[in-house]
Amino acid sequence: MSRVIEQLRARRPATATLVGAALVIAGFLLASVSWWFFILAGAGACGPGLLRELGVLKDKDEFQRRAAHRAGYHAFLATGFFGFVLVALVRATTGELKNPAELTTLMLAMLWLTWLLSSLLTYWGARKASTRLLLGFGAAWLAFALADAGPRPLGWLMASLPALPFFALAALAWRWPRVAGALMVLIAAAMYWFFGYWSNDRMGGLIVNTGVALLLCGPLLGCGTALLSLRREDAPAGAH
Amino acid sequence: MDENIHNEVRRHRFACGEMTQEQLARRVGVSRQTIIAIEKGSYNPSVALALRIARAFGARVEDVFRLDESEGGNDVPRD
Repeated sequence: MSRVIEQLRARRPATATLVGAALVIAGFLLASVSWWFFILAGAGACGPGLLRELGVLKDKDEFQRRAAHRAGYHAFLATGFFGFVLVALVRATTGELKNPAELTTLMLAMLWLTWLLSSLLTYWGARKASTRLLLGFGAAWLAFALADAGPRPLGWLMASLPALPFFALAALAWRWPRVAGALMVLIAAAMYWFFGYWSNDRMGGLIVNTGVALLLCGPLLGCGTALLSLRREDAPAGAH
Repeated sequence: MDENIHNEVRRHRFACGEMTQEQLARRVGVSRQTIIAIEKGSYNPSVALALRIARAFGARVEDVFRLDESEGGNDVPRD
């Protein structure tokens, strides 16, 4: 028992990370009171990293710092390219920014989600990160579906079905990573085709398509590509 | 992996009384995931960490890490 507690303590996130997460949640919740509180979320998301860069916090080892720096570069590439597309679109067409808050939120989400995905893939490796991400996807889908299904058990059963492919893919990613990787890329493409659209309002279309790509397809595409590029020796015995 | 560095961390761990990754990580002051990444060859440690790992095994650093000279690696970056 004490060994289990010791292991849990060893794998507990850093205190600064926990405080940062609490600030992010508080910032999001209090934003409904006043948007000024959203700055709290910014402090939570960027504060620990800033303190680490300033040398005040020394709670990460060199591999963790390298994963964070590499992820920062990936986030710069993804968001930077999106920024260039956006400027081109605004300058080349008569599209005007009807809701700049939506666009800035989208760019912020792209920056942060790319950073998160990349740092998890570097830190945990493709197999572990993909498995955990798929389990998270499945659990989130299941929770939303169950909350929406009402009190009937048959409704729960039907609502939980869309989560099953994610759990199956998680198991597959562990045993046969390349097969799972190919399936994830295909599912990401199918999701984009199913949920994305290109409206008459180009700016609106861009926001929706990028949002869909970011939240639904991006994690699957990123993990799928990482699994497909796994070296043979990284895959488990019997893996393809 | 940027450089072709071969490591014998896993072999040394087992030679040192089947030391676990967690124990080695604690001894050299890094996370267990860092040891996993080093063993898999997906991360090359700094000289300081390589020295600490070698010291934890009571070995020389070149016994634990060595350049894999069978593959390329002589590419010189251009200015």
